[in-house]
Amino acid sequence: MVLSTAMSTPTPRPIEVFRMHPAVLWVTVFVALLLQTFLPLKLPLARLFDFPLLVTIYFAVVRRNKVFAIGLGTGIGLLQDALSHSYIGIFGMAKALIAYLAASASVKFELDEVLARLALTGILVPAHSLALLALERGLVEVPPPFQPLDLASGVLVNVGLGLVLFQVLDRFRRPT
Amino acid sequence: MFESSSPETPRVEQPPEREAPEKVQAFVGRRRAFFILLGVLVAQLLLLSAQITRDQKVRLIQVWAVAVFDPFARALHGMSDATTGAWKSYRELWQAQQQNRELQIQLVAARAQIQQLNEQAAEGRRLRELLEFRNRLPFQTVAAEVIATSPGEASKAIFIDKGTDAGLTPDLAVITPAGVVGKILAVFPHSAQVLLITDSSSGAACALERSRVQGILKGGKLNQCLVQYVMNEAPVAIGELVLTSGLDQIYPKGLPIGTVAQTADGNIYKNITVQPTAALDRLEGVLVVLKPPSGELQALNAPARP
Repeated sequence: MVLSTAMSTPTPRPIEVFRMHPAVLWVTVFVALLLQTFLPLKLPLARLFDFPLLVTIYFAVVRRNKVFAIGLGTGIGLLQDALSHSYIGIFGMAKALIAYLAASASVKFELDEVLARLALTGILVPAHSLALLALERGLVEVPPPFQPLDLASGVLVNVGLGLVLFQVLDRFRRPT
Repeated sequence: MFESSSPETPRVEQPPEREAPEKVQAFVGRRRAFFILLGVLVAQLLLLSAQITRDQKVRLIQVWAVAVFDPFARALHGMSDATTGAWKSYRELWQAQQQNRELQIQLVAARAQIQQLNEQAAEGRRLRELLEFRNRLPFQTVAAEVIATSPGEASKAIFIDKGTDAGLTPDLAVITPAGVVGKILAVFPHSAQVLLITDSSSGAACALERSRVQGILKGGKLNQCLVQYVMNEAPVAIGELVLTSGLDQIYPKGLPIGTVAQTADGNIYKNITVQPTAALDRLEGVLVVLKPPSGELQALNAPARP
């Protein structure tokens, strides 16, 4: 009886956890921030891109470690704050939250498929924009105006960009 | 009275006051990441509030971040400018090449137009010269254009664009401001054939300008003429002008024919070679001398009374 029970119970599929070489992580973060400061000068459309956010989501999903994700999101966000004219901490808080959510989702769901990543990015990108909006409206004296068209465009553009970026970064990951 | 627990595993009961912290510890442990997130968010809120309170212009983290990113941003900007500049130069070069090709075509067309205008100007000058010459002449003339030449080396004749429609008849003199050309040989409704003075079958009565020696001009070789029937004793100088004498009743008197190119004594008569003054190989516009009534022609050709 014990034997038949054992045979009928399906074996749970092991969750893959990937690692990245630290250099890949640092270089990717650095290049993402550099592109975020440079591209909008040359391409007007590039103001909708959010490379640091996409990089945060990717590494949070791949590492499947919430603490790591919080640290990564906070670090990237603070650097982004430092390079912008806003108060230090706005991007830090928003990205820490999004990184935590991404890592939590990656623990619960299998996010290696394109559709799954598409769905996750499609949820987290607007969530990030809304979190920024809420923080700015709640904490900053003169918050920027709410532009729904920009928000929607940003979601579409970053979802598309994310798909491409994730495929490129997948080449550098190694299973643990 | 009897203890419910088995003798092998003595049950140790926890005091109630130690259960709560362990439960909290277990709770926090299970949600460690969440509490770390809360801690990070609170820390950043405090950081924000400190910034707003102090209102510092530039934070240290900003200085560090800008110091790290600035050289790379500059390098990237420089590369982008260089690439844009190179592309712009290439495009300008290509456009310059295109423009050069178009200008070359325009230049060729302009040169052709200039040539055409020069030709027209030269023709205008020539026609003005012809008109002035015609106005000076004491007889009536008709201007005509040379339209064709007779094929073959032996026959030296040209065709002009005036015929019976312009009142032309055979044996009319054809002249240019430079000199005599020939006489009309045949007339057609709208054209006429002119026999040049260099043709072997042509003939004109002539006289030398200085010596006044008279002779007969005949066509010779190499587009030159010969003056016949001039005695060996007659004084003839090289370069002397040969004029029409008017005695043939065809050419009016006093028109230049040519200059003496060569002279040599023959048996009885001199062998005089005359180079025509009219450019017979480059004729374009000519004048046809209309024949006046015979009395007037005689008057024209008569020598001047002292």
